[in-house]
Amino acid sequence: MDSSELYNVKQQFFLGAFKSLVDLTLPDPSSDDYTPILVYKARAHIALDDTKSISTLVPADTENLALKAVSALAKYTSGTDAADPALEELRDLCVEIEGEDADASEREKGLVRVVAGTAFARAGEVEEALETLGAETGTENLEAVAIIVQIYLSIHRPDLARKEFERSKQWAEDDLLLQLIEASIGLVSGKDGYADSSSFFTEQLANPSLSSPHLLTSRGVTRLLRGEIVEAKSDLEEAVAQQGGHEDAETLAASVVAAGLLPGKKGEAEQLWTRLTTEYPTHPLVSAVNEKAEQFDEFAAKYQVPPLAIPTAA
Amino acid sequence: MSVMLTKFESKSNRVKGLAFHPTQPLLAASLHNGSVQLWNYRMGVLVDRFDEHEGPVRGVAIHPSRPLLVTGGDDYKIKVWDLKPQSRRCLFTLHGHLDYIRTVQFHHEMPWIISCSDDQTIRIWNSTSRNCIAILTGHSHYVMSAFFHPKEDLVVSASMDQTVRVWDISGLRKGTPNTAPGTFDSFDTFSTVKYVLEGHDRGVNYAVFHPTLPLILSAGDDRQIKLWRMSETKAWEVDACRGHFNNVSSALFHPKHELIVSCGEDKTVRVWDLAKRSAVQTFRREHDRFWVLAAHPELNLFAAGHDNGLIVFKLERERPAFCLHGDTVYYVRDKYVRSYDINTGADVGLLSVRKFGSPYVPPRTLSFNPAERAVILTISSDNGMYELTSLPKDTAGELKDSSVDGKRGSGQAAIFVARNRFAVLNKASQLIEVRDLSNSVVKSIKPPVQTNEIFYGGTASLILSSTSSVVLYDIQQGKTIAEINSPPVKYVVWSADGASVALLSKHTITIANKNFSQNTLIHETIRIKSGAWDDAGVFVYSTLNHVKYCLPQGDHGVICTLDNPVYLTRVKGKTVHCLDRSARPRTITIDPTEYRFKLALIRNNYEEVLYLIRTSNLLGQSIIAYLQQKGFPEIALHFVEDKNTRFDLAIECGNLDVAMETAKAIDRPECWNRLAQQALKQGNHKIVEKCYQQVKDFDKLSFLYLATGSTVKVSKMQKIADARGDPMSRFHNALYAGDVIGRIAVLREVGMYPLAYLTAKTNGLDELALEILQDAGLTEADVDDVPDFGRASLKPLPVVTDTTNLNWPSIPGGESFFDRALANGNLEAGAAEPYMNGDHSAAASAALDNWAKDEEDQDLAADEDGWDLDAGGDAQAEEGEEEAAAQEEEEELGAGASPGVSETEIWTRNSPFAGDHVAAGSFDTAMQLLHRQFGVVNFEHLKPLFLSVYRSAHAYLTPIASLPPLHLHLRRNPAESSLTRVLPVAVVTLKQVRAELSEGFRAVSGNRLADAQTTFRSVLQSLLFVVIASDSEAKDWRDTVTTAREYLLGVSIELERRRLMTAEPDNVRRGLELAAYFTHCKLQPPHMRIALRSAMQVFTKANNSATTAKFAQRLLDLNPDPKLVAQARQRIAAGDRNPRDAVEVSYDEFIEFEICAASYTPIYKGSPSVRDPYTDAAFLPEFKGTLDPLTRLTEIGAVASGLPAPR
Repeated sequence: MDSSELYNVKQQFFLGAFKSLVDLTLPDPSSDDYTPILVYKARAHIALDDTKSISTLVPADTENLALKAVSALAKYTSGTDAADPALEELRDLCVEIEGEDADASEREKGLVRVVAGTAFARAGEVEEALETLGAETGTENLEAVAIIVQIYLSIHRPDLARKEFERSKQWAEDDLLLQLIEASIGLVSGKDGYADSSSFFTEQLANPSLSSPHLLTSRGVTRLLRGEIVEAKSDLEEAVAQQGGHEDAETLAASVVAAGLLPGKKGEAEQLWTRLTTEYPTHPLVSAVNEKAEQFDEFAAKYQVPPLAIPTAA
Repeated sequence: MSVMLTKFESKSNRVKGLAFHPTQPLLAASLHNGSVQLWNYRMGVLVDRFDEHEGPVRGVAIHPSRPLLVTGGDDYKIKVWDLKPQSRRCLFTLHGHLDYIRTVQFHHEMPWIISCSDDQTIRIWNSTSRNCIAILTGHSHYVMSAFFHPKEDLVVSASMDQTVRVWDISGLRKGTPNTAPGTFDSFDTFSTVKYVLEGHDRGVNYAVFHPTLPLILSAGDDRQIKLWRMSETKAWEVDACRGHFNNVSSALFHPKHELIVSCGEDKTVRVWDLAKRSAVQTFRREHDRFWVLAAHPELNLFAAGHDNGLIVFKLERERPAFCLHGDTVYYVRDKYVRSYDINTGADVGLLSVRKFGSPYVPPRTLSFNPAERAVILTISSDNGMYELTSLPKDTAGELKDSSVDGKRGSGQAAIFVARNRFAVLNKASQLIEVRDLSNSVVKSIKPPVQTNEIFYGGTASLILSSTSSVVLYDIQQGKTIAEINSPPVKYVVWSADGASVALLSKHTITIANKNFSQNTLIHETIRIKSGAWDDAGVFVYSTLNHVKYCLPQGDHGVICTLDNPVYLTRVKGKTVHCLDRSARPRTITIDPTEYRFKLALIRNNYEEVLYLIRTSNLLGQSIIAYLQQKGFPEIALHFVEDKNTRFDLAIECGNLDVAMETAKAIDRPECWNRLAQQALKQGNHKIVEKCYQQVKDFDKLSFLYLATGSTVKVSKMQKIADARGDPMSRFHNALYAGDVIGRIAVLREVGMYPLAYLTAKTNGLDELALEILQDAGLTEADVDDVPDFGRASLKPLPVVTDTTNLNWPSIPGGESFFDRALANGNLEAGAAEPYMNGDHSAAASAALDNWAKDEEDQDLAADEDGWDLDAGGDAQAEEGEEEAAAQEEEEELGAGASPGVSETEIWTRNSPFAGDHVAAGSFDTAMQLLHRQFGVVNFEHLKPLFLSVYRSAHAYLTPIASLPPLHLHLRRNPAESSLTRVLPVAVVTLKQVRAELSEGFRAVSGNRLADAQTTFRSVLQSLLFVVIASDSEAKDWRDTVTTAREYLLGVSIELERRRLMTAEPDNVRRGLELAAYFTHCKLQPPHMRIALRSAMQVFTKANNSATTAKFAQRLLDLNPDPKLVAQARQRIAAGDRNPRDAVEVSYDEFIEFEICAASYTPIYKGSPSVRDPYTDAAFLPEFKGTLDPLTRLTEIGAVASGLPAPR
């Protein structure tokens, strides 16, 4: 059982309350929780694309494998030239923890796997990520399972995701993360799954111990999927308000979709879209649409356009 | 029935007879020591005692409708007592029996009393004439009981002679009974023995009729209870209940259920199944033999008398299991789960739970899960068990029984804690299991306290009830969040917003917020039954005999009284919804004003307070006291009429104006003094002045004038003092006013020459000093030993600020709102009624809706002549192929982590519509479809649509930080689970396109033709992406396409005409032709009028009066407004006068024609033409193979399959 402090930190991390996590004061370095909380805090920074502060947060000369892994992930996600070496570093760390004499607790090893798995998944190394995380080996690291499930979902294998989920249900004791996993699967599989996700996010929104605009966005997206566009929009608007008017990419992208589906909101959709493309040019929706635009031109060129019918002088 | 719920217990001498009062909570008990007690079993008090019998009293009965009690004792006497509280006494005594009297009973309608005795007779008495009217003889031993049939003229008796006899007494009713005493023989003609029931092996102690069925129950010393049935002609033994192991003293039919209740000298009360005659339940007592049993005629209550007193008990809980969700109550009645809609009153059965637990026990609790539409019931039989069942979606036909798919387990409490989790408490092992919907345990919790009950505690939390506290427990973290000391909590009620919770114990209510950080405790002396939250946040609860309210900070009060307990489910405005004891929904109308008022006060919602004050009549000392106590004297002021109270309140809240007014009315010195004091505190010296004036307090007044620097008034005071002849006052005033002369004058007058002299001297008034000396009969020489004091410096201080005319600024209090609204208790000028705004906006939006509806109606008035749908057969074939392909591919999918089929791929497989393919991002197939179906070749204009449709069908979400987001796909059929049928969201809908179309209409009306042209073109583009779900939608779609095409054509023609007019003004003929063609596009009447008027105008200008007249006639047919009618008539007249055309044009309205959409020339019927594959616009054959100039999308004359079949 985690200490209640660590529990709270994990809860905030999983439910996307990164802002409050970033502002968290770290416990005493000698405490047991120090390393794991530092890891989550660092990961919250990374989630907010604030990789620079990692170097100040995590001492460069740390011997701790989990912390090493996190700083490697930070380097990787910063997208600079250091990306490839960082990936290599993570690979090395993975090999290291497999060794007999690895100087790390089980929990730290787990964290290393999770962090490495995240990086591999980001890099598109699906097989490597799954292997690192221990897919289909009955791993009892729920975070690893969460990532495995998401990888499965991203390669359109909800069946495998569900299998992994059912397996972890045996031992995970109804953990919050487990419910989150179920919700993610629900979002992809649809029908009853939407109801699962929707209830989960609604429940967590009522959770008194944290508030996270990410939850609102998540429910907004769920409602979009359920076809409740107006309700979705109000969720998203609330999320924007909670983020002080400067929404993250996800909320903005969802807002574009919501506006696009509401009648009479075409102008708004275009405006939001322009903002999305300028503020978050790397968001997958932007890149997907850009790619589609190129394809359009390519395909359209295949059709011969005949001359316009112009009446000869009558 | 696993518990006998004891409601009341008394200790006394042996109880031999018992009788319930039919309407009041009273129970009469006759004792072996000769006393008859009257108990109020609800309050637990002895109401009265009747001590006139000598020796044991065995028989007692209460009249079913009148306040009468009858008793029969071992003193051979039958006594009838008045039960009216004010006159409880023995009315009369009936003498006649010759031995102990065993039972007595009133007849239900005749004024008869039946009694039986050890003298082997049964006697019937007329209680009006107080005579014995019949003696039934026949029994050969003591008669132990004799009772009337509840409806028929029958009597059943039991005797020690081992028989039960049924007597026919119908003769007694018909004939006039012989009232003469001593003529016993004549009695026999009125009553006869009908049946003699033999079967008991020992004496029979008790025999009764069934209330409705022809059944008799008898209990005997042979330890058996026998059931007998009778017909018109005979009676026979049906069966016997064996189980008592000593004499059975009494046995009764349960008034409501098919049960028998019996008691005996074996110290047990037993319950039997009437149908099966099997034992259901046994309650044992250690030492007390049971002697008598009584059942309440209406309620589920029994009483049993034993060696040391009596007990009143219930055999089942009456509290129905229920659960509120929104405005629907889910509850259990007669072992059926039902739902009751509070708004509509619809009350329907949903599920049978007859097979759940013991058939005699109703479920104890019900927990409802709206997400899954499932319920969990618990029942106390079988040591406690629960059952999880989903409610059927439709309730038509026979109701589902929960045993079909219910999931059961053992546990004492079970509730839903999340959409797919429920918690089960096992009291014995003290373990709480969290289970999922398939009933498998996902988590086990060891509660931190000895837990007797569990309740929902908010997200992921439980409320645990232990003997001395309640604990809010976090399931996830497995730790206690908060703990409140409280007696055992029995029920928990959450407010609708989940912010507050009420914890109900037997005699206390704890109101807490959602994390238990704040709470208030309320004590009740009467048992608390249930509660519900008002929408405003007031907790309304019911006790045994009241409905009460409780405010969040702990104030509570009575709303109304109750005759019988009810179980509140929901409070909505003035209506309290509840379930009564038999679980039937009821409503009680209450007046919520008082608690609303108090709540508004607490919340400082003064507008609401004012509104309530103004709209309802709140009065009474209690409200005033409440207001005063809570620190709102200014509001209380409003309610008070009494002058004195009003004055007190005004002083208390510092409302000087009101105080002044009331002080004037009262006009007593102590009032003025108090007002003066208060006004002084507030610095309102004007009022102080007035008060002092009223009470003639001259000294204070003078000092006040001095303090305020009002020199004028000081001198006035001086004059007043003069007039009053008060030298002290005159002196003071002179001193205050700095009037030295005056001062000296006073001193001289009173003969204080030394002081007068010195005053004069020190103020340099030597002459005056001399005069004084002379008056005193002295010379200067006499006073030369007086030292020189120099010049006096005493003089009034200069006035710095003219305070006289200024009141001290009064303290601005938080009450300014009420100062305004409640000034002088006058409310007319109060704030606006608080609910107006909402009404206004509602009205405004309604108006908007109406307006929008008008718009829509107009749109619907589109062309009627739709075109045939050419949904080709090849689309069908194509579809088949696609499905086959899909299946094939699915088979190829193997195990392992190889990527699966993406949703977009599935979409493209599932749909033949271009819109769906675009949403799936499969642009090439979409283009192919558009090309094949509509002959689209020029995609350039469609690019924004392609992209926005694609964009709107995909969402991204990152559940796990730092991973690439999940790519999610919006479906238009979110309720579909089969992947072979999922389809993308319909981004462009027909409705939206129609909205755009009407925008185009508005542009036409507004003469913004270029805009209109763009809009109609865009409509035609959007229509390509619309997905059709039904044949009627397909027709609508085609209609919309046609309408848009006609308008586009018309607008294009008119634009061409205008271009021509500026470019080639001489080409009048062409201009006229175009104007005429415009009127032949199929437009809606308002637009057609515009076209016709424009045509009339140009034709008149060209002097083509004949054709003008024709246009005018067409205009008239469209019912234009009167002005246009006049104009049109004029043109027709002109045409009649001059039926000629100056310019010859190629236009003949009598020959049917279509307009070539490229050259804008007529194509007369029968002439060759080519068509646009999409809009079906007509073109001259020469344009085949070119790009359609209307839409600029399609190739004219291309072959197309048209819109695919709807799905």
